[in-house]
Parts: sequence; C-alpha cells; structure tokens
Amino acid sequence: MNDFLETTIDKFTFRVDPSCHYSTEGIWVRVENGRARLGLSDFLQQRSGDIAFIDVQPAGTILAPDEEFASIETVKANVMLASPVSGTVIQVNPALETRPEVINQEPFGDGWVCEVALSDWDVDRQCLLDANAYFDKMKQEATEAHQS
Amino acid sequence: MSNPPLEIMIVPCSGIGKPYGTISRVTAYQVTEDDRPELTRLVPLALLVMGDEESVRIVAENPTITIDGCTQACATKNVQQSGGRVVRNFAVLEAFRRHRDLKPQGIAELNEDGEKLAVALAQEIVAEVDALATSGDGGKHA
Repeated sequence: MNDFLETTIDKFTFRVDPSCHYSTEGIWVRVENGRARLGLSDFLQQRSGDIAFIDVQPAGTILAPDEEFASIETVKANVMLASPVSGTVIQVNPALETRPEVINQEPFGDGWVCEVALSDWDVDRQCLLDANAYFDKMKQEATEAHQS
Repeated sequence: MSNPPLEIMIVPCSGIGKPYGTISRVTAYQVTEDDRPELTRLVPLALLVMGDEESVRIVAENPTITIDGCTQACATKNVQQSGGRVVRNFAVLEAFRRHRDLKPQGIAELNEDGEKLAVALAQEIVAEVDALATSGDGGKHA
C-alpha cells in the first residue's frame, strides 16, 4: 500500500498517491506495462462534490492530450475531464455504471475511470507533474479556495 | 384494547452548504406537514446529535425513515447510534440519479428543479409511509 502525501486544510484532508503522475487539472495517471490507468485526484473529486453521473468515452476511442475522456455531473457542476495522455481507451471501469460514487470513496483505488493503451508516453509525461509537484500545486489551490 | 395509531419518525440530513441537504429537509417538510401529517413526525437530526432526550426516546420507540443528502448517510448513522430503528432510508443523491432531467440548484432556497426533486422524493416516502401504516407493524418485518 502506498504512503500517501497528505495535507489538511480546515476540516478537509486531501491525499496524493505518490505512484502517479498528474495533470494540472488533477487527473492522475498510473502507468504499467504500456498501459495507463486514469482517475480523479482526491482534491478534484472533493472539489467537484458527490458524483451522480459519469460518462466515459468507450473502449476503442482514440485520445489525444487535452481531449475529453470523460465528464462527471454533480449537483454542483458538470466537469469535463481532459485526457493527460494520448492513446486508445481499452477499458472503462465497470463499477462506474452502477456506483459512480466509488470515485468519491476511493479515488486512487476502485474509483479509477479507464485504462488507455499509451501511444506516446515519453512525450506525454513531460507535460505532467510528479506527485510532489502536484502535491504543492494542490495545497496552494486548496488554501486559496479556503481563503476565498 | 386496540394498538395506538402508528407514528413514523422522519429524520432528514442536517447538512448545509449543498443543495442535497436542503432537498432532504424540504422533502421532510412536504411529507410531515403537507402529505402525511397524521402519520409522521419530523425529528431534527441536530437534536439527536445533541442527545435531546425526547428526540432520542421517540426514535427509539417508533419506526424511523431517514433522508440522507449524500453518501455519508449522517441521518441514518446518527439514528442508529441513538438506538433508533431505521425501517427505510432514502438518499437525495439516488433520487437525483432517478431524475437526471432535473438540475437542482440553490442552498438557502431551491430552484424549481430542486423543488420538483423534493416533491418526487416525498412521493416515494409517502408510498413507504402508507405501506408501513397499512401493514400496521411499523416495518418490524421489513
């Protein structure tokens, strides 16, 4: 089990999985054997609120960086999720069909969104943040949001 | 000697800051004040959490329906921790999923879709209340 990076601001605790890369918007990427699993960071899911619906691009969809791979709907907002990588969607998390709230419950675990067969990871990862860099960015955003 | 009339406690979420909590309370008012005042009684969750003796007593002695705003299910958990018997719990988030066409907004005051969702959820709860009242056992065999 990973030792998460963690910060608490007011009554909210946010965790960051050190094994992932992150887009600046808070999409995590976990790469293994040429495949990437994508999901929402703890901060992004908490900021978005309880997820009522999620629509994910189906298997076979070809993604380029910054293209929509999924969208979520909460009572607060509709949020478009931009892919942090290029490749082809090979699997959508089947649990999301009946239990989209699993993203809120386990954002880095069972709440993953989809798997992508990577086509240009060496280039894509140069645009991503490592866990420590994302942790610092997230803390700053969370602090600013709390103060506003 | 006949049994006293069944009274069902309705305990909504006490959350503030999100429409879900507001919808749960508007729903509770709809059921207890407008739709089935003769069969139900509203119990504020805050009183249970504070340990108010009368509130703890009535949820312990009567069947209770909870209305949770979100997946944290504070209403259900607190009724159970108070020794109450939850015969059925409803979740605003689930109701929202059943009515995707509605886009509830508003915290202090709900928009029209929020009000519609509260009415729709109230109808589901009324059906449950009527079923419990008809069975007459307060959901003991639910």
